[in-house]
Amino acid sequence: MPADNGLDPVIHAPARLRVMVTLATLREGDDLSFTRLQDLLGLTPGNLITHLRKLEDAGYVTTAKSGSGVTARTSVSLTQQGRKALDAYTGTLRQLLDSASTNGTRAH
Amino acid sequence: MAEDQDMSAREAAAIVQDARARARRELVISAPVVYMAWGLVWLVGYGAMWLSVRGQHPYRGPSGVSIAAVFVLAGFAAAAVLVVARRATAGIGGQSARYRCIIVAAWATGYLILLVVQAAISGSASARELAFAGLAGPLLLAGLTYILASVLGRDRPAFALGAWLVIVGAACAWLAPAAVLATCALAGGGAFLLLAVIQARFGAHAS
Repeated sequence: MPADNGLDPVIHAPARLRVMVTLATLREGDDLSFTRLQDLLGLTPGNLITHLRKLEDAGYVTTAKSGSGVTARTSVSLTQQGRKALDAYTGTLRQLLDSASTNGTRAH
Repeated sequence: MAEDQDMSAREAAAIVQDARARARRELVISAPVVYMAWGLVWLVGYGAMWLSVRGQHPYRGPSGVSIAAVFVLAGFAAAAVLVVARRATAGIGGQSARYRCIIVAAWATGYLILLVVQAAISGSASARELAFAGLAGPLLLAGLTYILASVLGRDRPAFALGAWLVIVGAACAWLAPAAVLATCALAGGGAFLLLAVIQARFGAHAS
């Protein structure tokens, strides 16, 4: 549900916003390993898991485990719904900044 | 969560910009590096072969040193591209990884076919026919590979480069061997380097 400012509260948190933007850089159909995502964002594993769970509950990302033992790999990818939600979020962000700069110009 | 409420629209926009720039820098193969590496192979390597055949009457072919230089340069270029690609794509799985395998397999198959064709015609073909198959053939193959890569990766600049290389390679069928070398070096290598400069200037990446 959008907040008062119209921004999606699931995305509107620094760490989750970084996760979403980073995953959106990948091409559709690609995924990123948990460890590489963690390295890129500089988050602890526990912190990243917490944020990914929130995004997964909203249907914005999916995680998949493959292999076992030393070859075990957890991959994360953005869903279609997540990509659309991020597009909507950045669109709203742009509108907010545009209206803020218009109001600032009028005030002067 | 406190951090959710504390972030202003301006701060969020800065995070989006910063995260996007970082992700593109870290996760996407740098097109300028790839085009620069291969451009130098064509321009310097084929340029050296062209210099070695200038003034030959009759045409005897490029010197052994210049041919060796092409292979050494190609080895360095391949190593550089491999390092850049592996660094960028570490941890990335899915469709792009499969596409890269298809592209490499298509190029390797094409190159093998080129070698077989050269071996088959080496006894009976004229110097001009051998120059086309042996010298312009790799450029045609590179062009077709870039067209394939552009279709799989939805990369318009790569398509433009591939189409140009195919046109240049095909045009070599009407040229004398020395002119084939000059054309591949200047029109082929030049196109790679031009695209490298354009993409470095406007910040595009390879697929």
